[in-house]
Amino acid sequence: MGFSVRELFKKYGDKVVVDHLSFEMNEPGVYALLGTNGAGKTTSIRMILNMLSKDGGTVEWNGGPLSLKTCNVGYLAEERGLYPKNTLMDQLMYFASLRGLSRSEAKERIRYWAERLEATEYLYPQQTGAKAPKPKKADELSKGNQQKIQFMLALLSDPELLILDEPLSGLDPVNTDVFKSIIHEEIGKGKYLIMSSHQMATIEEFCTDLTILNRSKTVLQGNLAEIKKSYGRINLFVKAEQELRPMIEQAGITVLSSVGFSYQCRVTGEEQANALLRSLVSQGITLIAFELREPSLHEIFVEKVGEVHEES
Amino acid sequence: MKSLDLRGTGTVFRYTVQQHYKTRSVIIFLLILFLGALAVFPIRAMTGSKAVTETKIRQVYLRNETGFVIEAEDVKKDDVFSGVEIIDTKDDDAALAKTIAAEKNAAATVMTLDREKMCFDIRTNYGADSEVVNADAEALNQVLSQALHQALLRAQSVTAEQETLLHSAVYSQVSKVSDYLRNAEETGTDTHVFANLLYCYLIIMLNTLAMSYVFQQCMEEKVSKLVESLLVSVSPTSLILGKLLAVTLFIFFGLGLVVLGLFISFRIGSQMTDPKILTDMIKNLIHVDFSVLHISVGTIALFLLCTLLAYAIAASFSAIVGSCCSRTEDTQHASLAVVMFIMIGYLVGAFVPMFENDAAYNIVSLFPLTSIFSAFPNFVCGKITAGVFTVALLLQAATAYFLIRTAGRVYRMMIFYRGAFPKPKQVIRMMREERAAARYAAAGKEDPHGK
Repeated sequence: MGFSVRELFKKYGDKVVVDHLSFEMNEPGVYALLGTNGAGKTTSIRMILNMLSKDGGTVEWNGGPLSLKTCNVGYLAEERGLYPKNTLMDQLMYFASLRGLSRSEAKERIRYWAERLEATEYLYPQQTGAKAPKPKKADELSKGNQQKIQFMLALLSDPELLILDEPLSGLDPVNTDVFKSIIHEEIGKGKYLIMSSHQMATIEEFCTDLTILNRSKTVLQGNLAEIKKSYGRINLFVKAEQELRPMIEQAGITVLSSVGFSYQCRVTGEEQANALLRSLVSQGITLIAFELREPSLHEIFVEKVGEVHEES
Repeated sequence: MKSLDLRGTGTVFRYTVQQHYKTRSVIIFLLILFLGALAVFPIRAMTGSKAVTETKIRQVYLRNETGFVIEAEDVKKDDVFSGVEIIDTKDDDAALAKTIAAEKNAAATVMTLDREKMCFDIRTNYGADSEVVNADAEALNQVLSQALHQALLRAQSVTAEQETLLHSAVYSQVSKVSDYLRNAEETGTDTHVFANLLYCYLIIMLNTLAMSYVFQQCMEEKVSKLVESLLVSVSPTSLILGKLLAVTLFIFFGLGLVVLGLFISFRIGSQMTDPKILTDMIKNLIHVDFSVLHISVGTIALFLLCTLLAYAIAASFSAIVGSCCSRTEDTQHASLAVVMFIMIGYLVGAFVPMFENDAAYNIVSLFPLTSIFSAFPNFVCGKITAGVFTVALLLQAATAYFLIRTAGRVYRMMIFYRGAFPKPKQVIRMMREERAAARYAAAGKEDPHGK
């Protein structure tokens, strides 16, 4: 079992939009594709799914070329929509039929996902008064509720490989939690997930491995835990009830930002942080917070993309 | 050639058809179309001259000033007027008016001959409070006209055989001696021109109607932002093919409904009036005498085949152009391109028969763009041979196949395209790039132009 992308390449005219992207997933889990706007994430996903022709490279699933015949794929696209004037149930049945599900199987799965995503009221409207319930159409739903139906379309076929492009954008906190719990469930079922998002906290919550793209090129790749480890614990957060800047700077530590008496600092290592802590305690300063941690994905992303921008 | 993955075409077709016929406006449109066709002949029968089966006229006061003797028996030969009493009179107009005013079932007829203009005049009047109606008077005039004709023949001592000869039909035929010797059947130029125009008109109507449907289908997923979700389950070729087949069904179902409506309408109309009146109406309307075209079941089958091929060519061209549209405003450019494509074929195809040139018939029948308008009428009217017609159909089929495949490719290529309506040169360049990329990707290499 496994999924791999090798030397994926695409250009439009003279403009290279994906420059030799390679990554692989040898076991189920979540792989994150991150990047700035226009970095080539969506184009890469389209090429992976054979929606766009590749100018080079291969995509393999279980050792053979990935195609819709060989791999059951579920895809929640970034550019998502529904037929506005068609009923939701008709659309779900249509997609289920395209995925080769029988009517009874489709109905069963639609019922399951409608309950799971808390969308039963739109798909199974209750009778009010003497009038028969009218099936809901897509344009009668809010954007968030449409997104639930689109997520259902991606999940209906019980896919082995699930690709989610910005799955949580535009959702309220309640629905975000519903989506997150489903994603956790799918990971638990041993699915392969590829996720693209600008919400770094979301990616950090789910992913094990990642690639950061910037202007079509891979700028960082690997296991998230290892990447973070490689940076070391160099981020120091200090909060006190008095001015600390002179003391921090005296210890040779760079203050990145400060709000009131809270300081975000960059240390060279744990020893430098410990020396500062000892110095502050010996001076009798009351500390509210003193936290030494690895950089967040957001910080790594900004640093990497920033580096490339500076170089270019 | 890479084999086509057409899985899902049937599902797309069924869904598109299902959604189309669930739309209330479509049902209303089809109903109007059917009822409109259904009403044609009954309305004509009600508004036009009717065949009278009985009459309210019991006495006819006839003042015959033509000089030819009208026999009462000639009038009574007609079933409707068999019980009518013909009363010869010399009364003047005022006296006649007074007579018929007093009677409910009488009519007064005056027959005259204008020697200057050399024409007869038959005038029938009935009283203001009479039970007689206009249709009775018109029918009487027709019978008297026939009786007058008989009177003229008798005056010339014409025998029954001579009379038959006088009424015998004249068939005219013109052809080259070579065609005559090989016993080729050919219709006159007028029939050919009108048959050709009629067929061209039908094809252009069909394709113009199809064009807007095809555009709508090509853009639907782009506008609804459903493209990517769908392409995980179905190939672009299957998607567009399923949709085009659904459009074909809408168009031909609509056409079939009109034909069915007209057929039922004719049957209803025939019950209401003399069917000859209705057939004459068709003949006068479209100027084509169908009896000279030797229409058979085979001709109808060929007509359907040719119409389908013409539709396939124009619809797939519409699909190619429609696939380049990203927004509703782009359809203006797209319509212009398709209309130009169809109009060129139409203009050449429709007007070539007027030049009466065999070489021209063959060329327009073989060139696919004009062939969809010309091959069928040229063959039915005997202007091209069966061999040329067969080649024309094969060329049309090949063109349709090529265009359908190209439509699939362009649809696939342009499915993510968002921008201004592209120029043909731009689309061709993109297709070349796409093909080169596919070739290199298939060989496991990278496109050499990629770097």
